[in-house]
Amino acid sequence: MTECEPGWPEAHSHGTWLSLANRLSEIRRLPVWIGELASRHSIPTEIEFAINVCLEEAVSNVIRHGYREGERGEVIVHFTQPKANFFEFTVEDEARHFNPLDSPAPDTQGPPRVGGQGVHFLRHFAAQLEYSVKPRGNRLRMMFCGENSGT
Amino acid sequence: MAITTEELAGGITRVVLDGRLDIENSPAVDSQMKVIADGRTSVLVDMSKVSFLGSMGLRALVGPALVIRGRGGKMVLFGPNELVSKVLKISGIDNMIPVHQELTSAMAALQ
Repeated sequence: MTECEPGWPEAHSHGTWLSLANRLSEIRRLPVWIGELASRHSIPTEIEFAINVCLEEAVSNVIRHGYREGERGEVIVHFTQPKANFFEFTVEDEARHFNPLDSPAPDTQGPPRVGGQGVHFLRHFAAQLEYSVKPRGNRLRMMFCGENSGT
Repeated sequence: MAITTEELAGGITRVVLDGRLDIENSPAVDSQMKVIADGRTSVLVDMSKVSFLGSMGLRALVGPALVIRGRGGKMVLFGPNELVSKVLKISGIDNMIPVHQELTSAMAALQ
């Protein structure tokens, strides 16, 4: 895996996006979409895995905690490749404001916990994260970078 | 995700998980694992065919492990691939449920 440079390289194309309704059953569409992107953009297996971990976490967070029960909404995931070996995903919603990156890091000294791992995973598997509020909703940018070491 | 079980020598139950252990599959796997864990004290979970593990999937492993441990038994994980191993390590779950890459050492840990 290559080291990510700090900052967010500017994308020169509009990329592509996936729109999901705010239902947990919609999350099954994510790995299919990510797999297609991985094939098309030669995303390394390790990075594809990391993207799957982070998008499952980010999107399920919005659906479970962002939107209120019974509220209809959508979660839009954008993908762009600003330059070779850099893969940027942005998760946008229209749910109440919530910064997942504000969550405290898990206590690594205590006994392992199942809950609270999500943000820990985001911080570990994404090279860069950036949260911002929208007038209505939230935006979470995630950058992944790495190159195929094989073929 | 497919789940199959096999009884090994020494009273060990081998549970083979095959597929993605993600938010979609986790509840069903959790339920099935708890049924399998019920009444068993030596459980070897074969993770060699697990292609993905997310934070939700961890629940399906930890819940049954605690049930078994609560009865004085033991559960170990066997053969996760490199990426799944990374998730286990980052979460610290590997400190709660021992992870083995060799079947013989996994079985020995349950004796």
